[in-house]
Amino acid sequence: MNRRNFLGLGLGVAAAAAIPTQLSAVDFRATKPKAWEVINKFKKGTKGDLATDGRAAAIKEIFGMDVDLTKNDSKIKLKTPAIAENGAVVPVSVSTKRAATKVAILQNANPESLVCVFTVPAGQPVEYSVRIKMQQTGDITVVVEEGGKLYASTSNTKVTAGGCGG
Amino acid sequence: MAKLGKARIKAKSKKGVVTVKMMAKHPQLSYQEAERAKKKPDWITQITATVGGAVVFEVSGSQFLSKNPYYKFKFNGEKGGQLDVAMTTLTGESKTFKAKIK
Repeated sequence: MNRRNFLGLGLGVAAAAAIPTQLSAVDFRATKPKAWEVINKFKKGTKGDLATDGRAAAIKEIFGMDVDLTKNDSKIKLKTPAIAENGAVVPVSVSTKRAATKVAILQNANPESLVCVFTVPAGQPVEYSVRIKMQQTGDITVVVEEGGKLYASTSNTKVTAGGCGG
Repeated sequence: MAKLGKARIKAKSKKGVVTVKMMAKHPQLSYQEAERAKKKPDWITQITATVGGAVVFEVSGSQFLSKNPYYKFKFNGEKGGQLDVAMTTLTGESKTFKAKIK
């Protein structure tokens, strides 16, 4: 191998190594605008359930797949308060050992279903805590995408005071 | 009207894992709240955290994150680096915050 080829090879490797570290911002609001508009269809004052709320539809919009929301994945740790005294600040913690690429948080207590979508950079741990608003008592669902498959976990939170300014 | 205030960001490294706690200052008005307050709905739609150009944390948010939204996350990294956090709101306002990884 002569010097020229060798240098060219080095450049190619450097370029390949640089690709995963590029700034690759995924704005789900721009790329999946419909997902944010999926509403929770239920009468005011009644509890939403899987048949009427918008969680399944919103998941389909974001991930393009369905997931069984009735099962809780044992590898996802979802921590929510059993009773939230203040619906304006409901702490939600998610962590998983799965090599996730996307993590989404949804609920069925507010007018729209989707709360937020995390894009997990390759090789980074999944351990997120956020504070969300909940208008009423409802379920909080976390969906994790790993290798083209979806895993979900759901937890119920009772809200004693509404969060959306109510 | 600038609504996006100062953000408080703390980044601490321990055994190669950096824990970041950050709190942005923003009213996060959902459609309902905005209607009641007779203001325009506005919230932080996108947050991207980078270290030296590499994305370490990324989230697309909705109006259901709390007022002055708080985020905690972890990533693999060493201390001494600089964390850049870029935030964008629904009205198109964007700001970048810097924090040292301690």
